[in-house]
Amino acid sequence: MAAYMLNVNRKAKPVTNDKSDVLQGTLDLMILKTLESMGSLHGYGVARRIEQVSSDSLSLNQGTIYPALLRLEQRGWIKSEWGLSETNRRAKFYKLTAVGRRRIAQEEENWSRIVNTMARFLAPSS
Amino acid sequence: MDWLREILSRCGALLERKQLDHDLDDELRAHLELAIEENLRRGMTETDARTSALRAFGGLTQIKETYRQQRAIPFLEVLAQDVRYGWRRLRMSPGFTLIAVLTLAIGIGANTAIFTLVQKILLRSLPVADPSRLYRIGDRTTCCYYDGFESDTGDFDLFSYDLYRNFRQSAPEFEQLTAVQAGGSGYSVRVGNERPRPLRTEFVSGNYFATLGIGAYAGRVFSERDDQAGAAPVVVISYRAWETDFARDPSIVGATIYVQTHPFTIAGVTPPGFFGDRIVAIPPDFWMPLQTEPLIEGENSAVKQSNSAWLYAVGRLRPGVNLQSLQAKLSSVLRQWMHTQPGFTKNGKTPLIDRQHVALSRAGGGIQMLQHQTGASLRMLMILSSVVLLIACANIANLLLARGTARSAEVAVRMALGAGRKRVIRQILTESLLLSLMGGAAGIAVAYLGSRMILALAFPWARNMPVDATPSLQVLGFALLISAITGVVFGVGPAWTSSHAQPVEAIRGAARFTGERASLPQRMLVVFQIALSIVLLAGTFLMTKSLSNLEHQNLGFTTAHRYTLQIDLQGSGYKFDQLAPLHKQLQDNLSSIPGLAHMSFSRYLPLGGNQWGDCIIRQGHPAAGPNENCFSDWDRVSAGFLDSIGVPVVRGRGFTAQDTTGSEQVVIVNEKFAKTFFPGEDPIGQHFGSDSPQYSGAFKIVGVFSDFQMVDARGEMRPLFLRPMTQRFMGYKDPAQDAAEESSMFLNSLILEFATPQQDAESMIRKKIAEVDPKLPVFRMLPYDAIVAENFNQDRLITRLTSAFGFVALLLASVGLYGVMSYSVARRTSEIGIRMAIGASRTAIIRMVLRGAVWQILVGLAFGIPASFYVGHLMKSLLYHVNGFDPLALAGAAAVLGVCAGVAAFVPARRAASIDPMLALRTE
Repeated sequence: MAAYMLNVNRKAKPVTNDKSDVLQGTLDLMILKTLESMGSLHGYGVARRIEQVSSDSLSLNQGTIYPALLRLEQRGWIKSEWGLSETNRRAKFYKLTAVGRRRIAQEEENWSRIVNTMARFLAPSS
Repeated sequence: MDWLREILSRCGALLERKQLDHDLDDELRAHLELAIEENLRRGMTETDARTSALRAFGGLTQIKETYRQQRAIPFLEVLAQDVRYGWRRLRMSPGFTLIAVLTLAIGIGANTAIFTLVQKILLRSLPVADPSRLYRIGDRTTCCYYDGFESDTGDFDLFSYDLYRNFRQSAPEFEQLTAVQAGGSGYSVRVGNERPRPLRTEFVSGNYFATLGIGAYAGRVFSERDDQAGAAPVVVISYRAWETDFARDPSIVGATIYVQTHPFTIAGVTPPGFFGDRIVAIPPDFWMPLQTEPLIEGENSAVKQSNSAWLYAVGRLRPGVNLQSLQAKLSSVLRQWMHTQPGFTKNGKTPLIDRQHVALSRAGGGIQMLQHQTGASLRMLMILSSVVLLIACANIANLLLARGTARSAEVAVRMALGAGRKRVIRQILTESLLLSLMGGAAGIAVAYLGSRMILALAFPWARNMPVDATPSLQVLGFALLISAITGVVFGVGPAWTSSHAQPVEAIRGAARFTGERASLPQRMLVVFQIALSIVLLAGTFLMTKSLSNLEHQNLGFTTAHRYTLQIDLQGSGYKFDQLAPLHKQLQDNLSSIPGLAHMSFSRYLPLGGNQWGDCIIRQGHPAAGPNENCFSDWDRVSAGFLDSIGVPVVRGRGFTAQDTTGSEQVVIVNEKFAKTFFPGEDPIGQHFGSDSPQYSGAFKIVGVFSDFQMVDARGEMRPLFLRPMTQRFMGYKDPAQDAAEESSMFLNSLILEFATPQQDAESMIRKKIAEVDPKLPVFRMLPYDAIVAENFNQDRLITRLTSAFGFVALLLASVGLYGVMSYSVARRTSEIGIRMAIGASRTAIIRMVLRGAVWQILVGLAFGIPASFYVGHLMKSLLYHVNGFDPLALAGAAAVLGVCAGVAAFVPARRAASIDPMLALRTE
């Protein structure tokens, strides 16, 4: 499997509807799924978990998850509160809201539709 | 709804930026520390653990920036930053800020003030139902009573009751057609046993409120049923009168008031905001049905006389009516009616009927009386204030340009440090917008005060005037828009120039300039300002001269040390038989005031704003033909009248105590009368009468007095004759004429002349009158000078405003020139230093600097002087005995401007000459 760069917002530009949207969507979904399976987790934990699940085949600047977390929080899909890490460090913990939980199914469906469509293009033509 | 939630959250974030920044820092620090911990656990060294954590994280600053943009609204945050920065910069140079804000405040304020008045007077619709369907038959504002033809062109706009009824019957194109009195009346109104007070009234037809679509606020409005002979007399009062004169007493509806001693029932109160059918300084306090007019005026009633034109006709058109054909139809109704009227057919006048016609005019804004009176002045003020705004804008542009160049070094450094061009332009624009909006806000304050002041000066006698000084939302928007446009337009240039500065130059030291190459736009602005200023100044000189001509003209009579006042004899219930003893008692009582030199009664005061006139017929002559002017003013006065206004009798005699009811009917005439009606003859001993040949022997001329202005202070002298207070002509056969004669015996104006100024004259006079009749209303007690001065109110106001605008223009132009000069001197400091170091004298330096200024002034004058000629030509109608092409005024304006501009240029020139060469060369 080829590693691909998640190159979100490298230039400091406000959120627009250019092609990085799809990739943003993937990051958002990864975060949502992570929080779904792990419950409450701090930013570093989310970043590490995504790296582990993708078996380090995804080259991710860990920092890019923070704007994504903020965006999800602004939409009311996740919420955050300050807490203590397992090593007793003060950190901000994120968890899904009821709205966010409901949105996951929808986002998953969107994603698989895109994957299917792409698969049809990539399959050898009959 | 995700986006909505997101926007709300972003807006919320704007408010707690600091706290959120702090949180973010904490969160990211925690992230890195967690990462380092984990790396350490994996056995890395401390340095490696940190480096690896940072590498995995990515660019910290970039992430933070992305995060911040996601968090709030970046545009607003940058704006807030720019505003803060701009504000700081403005506070750093308070002198510049103050001058710029004041300049804009004056420019925008003057325009907003004038535009407020234009909107509230010229552009306003009546607050009635669907005003766009209201039309008036007639297009001029002839007032107030007329008989015969109304104009040389045949245009008619004042109608008799009879003619109005004809229109009404023959024009079903009008849903409703109402008749309203052209000139209002002032009647004495008594409530209960109080002293009667003078209130403003208007007679209107019964369908008046139905035509305008106005209901009652309390009680009911009157209708056709109330406007019939024999109906119970009612009035409808205005909301304002209800507030001011009846203390909002709800029980007033249905109550009885006494108008000229006749009882009327108050039927109702009109809604708040309704002020009648026209904008005037004193709107009616109440409306009365036309059919109650005979009740008050008796045999003198205008309703009953088919030849007495005193009404305007205003109607509500049905949709889809063709105005042209309606106009033609009404004109033919007018002509047909005239053929039935002896007043228009006798003495060979019939051929004139053919060209008589009416024109329909829009009446949605009401009857355009005030508009006709003030329109020309307001339009001129609008032009003047726009010119002031232009000059103000030129000044702002100049100031900003100078400032822009001065800061180019700063901008260059900022750009060298990586600021984007867009960002720099945006910052400079924000600053000039901030400045102009501050100016706009100050301008709105100036506008409010300005329009209040103008209203107070223009209509000092206003009462409940339906024009207020508060700018409307549109006007406020207009002011803010102008200031925003000023800010952007005059900010873009300097912003563009500065943002194209080369960083290299700034670092090399851009302060070294020679010559004035860079300031060409600035010099052009100064030329422009000077040209406009000279126009305003020339206008000021013309208006001032015109006003002085008006005020210092020879009116032919004396007003100093004289008081005038009005009483109301009819309104207090006096009958004809009681007049002689009352006048005598008043005369005796008032004459006992110490220091009183003369006193007199008259029906009308010279230049008091009212008049009466008649058509003169000489004994033994036929009545005047259709194209002959037979008109003369006349007044009825007591014996001491000419003495009391200092007018000499030049031939024959004045009135004496011997001219009584029983003796021969005598008159005295002015010189103009003698010249007009008795050219080349001796008028003494001749007889004449008025109206009809049968009365032509009524009056014998016994004296001629010198001319004085009776009616119109700015017009030619007009024929005038005076009749004595005591002589009533008993020969009139027509009861209406006899009634008019009787009503002319009620002399309500008094003139009191004091030999020496009296401290307590007013209270003394009031006391003496109250001794005769404590209930007799006394009003408008004023020095005669004040009464005459009222004739020039508008002229004075326009002149003052023009002068104020001229002064502002002069000031702004001088400040502009001064600014450009001192700026160029400052920039040439080192050049001047070198010149002086190699031997230039102080005079040579002054001459060099001044040369530039003189050029600008001369070019400005070269453009301004022809423009002034043109403006003088436009102003001709507003000027009295002043030629629009007045070389003296122009020379005066040029001299004043030259001196001010010279001073403005000389100060920086002198500063240049006192530069110390050594210091100058060291400046960098």
